[in-house]
Amino acid sequence: MAGCCGGNSAPAKNASCCGSDKNKTVLIYACSGGANVAEISDRAARELMRSGAGTMFCLAGLGAGIPGMIQTSKDADVNLVIDGCPMDCARKVFEKAGVTSFAYVKVTDLGIEKKKGVPCTQEQVDRVVAKCREVLAAQK
Amino acid sequence: MKLQILGTGCPKCKKLAENTEAAAKALGIEYTLEKVTDLSAIMQFGVMMTPALAVDGQVKVVGKVPDPEAIKTFLR
Repeated sequence: MAGCCGGNSAPAKNASCCGSDKNKTVLIYACSGGANVAEISDRAARELMRSGAGTMFCLAGLGAGIPGMIQTSKDADVNLVIDGCPMDCARKVFEKAGVTSFAYVKVTDLGIEKKKGVPCTQEQVDRVVAKCREVLAAQK
Repeated sequence: MKLQILGTGCPKCKKLAENTEAAAKALGIEYTLEKVTDLSAIMQFGVMMTPALAVDGQVKVVGKVPDPEAIKTFLR
């Protein structure tokens, strides 16, 4: 959760405030589907958020066509989309919403096989987090 | 036209309100300006970064302070 306007007031929930001059606004989205690779995408996104790399944002909101959420994504400095598998659902949600500017990571591109009913490992999450950091670094 | 500034009242929120009023006045538009400062209410718009501008309930810009010329494009 971001501090607001110098940190004197606490924003509710996950809203960030006042578009800092110093830091780019980085929003992170995960496909968060049902398979292991989707769980990895979700855990990686949350780890990135907790480490301060950006704010996780709701992919479902874009999929639902919530106008304010779509505008939020359009106005972010960096959108990082983490898809789990070659179905590319998260990327397609972005395209359908008309948000054309985003960085992209796909879990199965990192040598992780898609499986159902198999828990992911921390090593796999770490691998995706590392790739995401690399991609984010290239955006700055 | 209903103009809403979404933000908790920081200098950027105030600047966005100023610029929005300047744009509306320059265009000769009849408007009401409301400052929405409650974060829960702000999030009902789907906005996660402030300040933001909503025109007749539609969010037009998020996390930025456009100049009056740019804001005019949202008001026409």
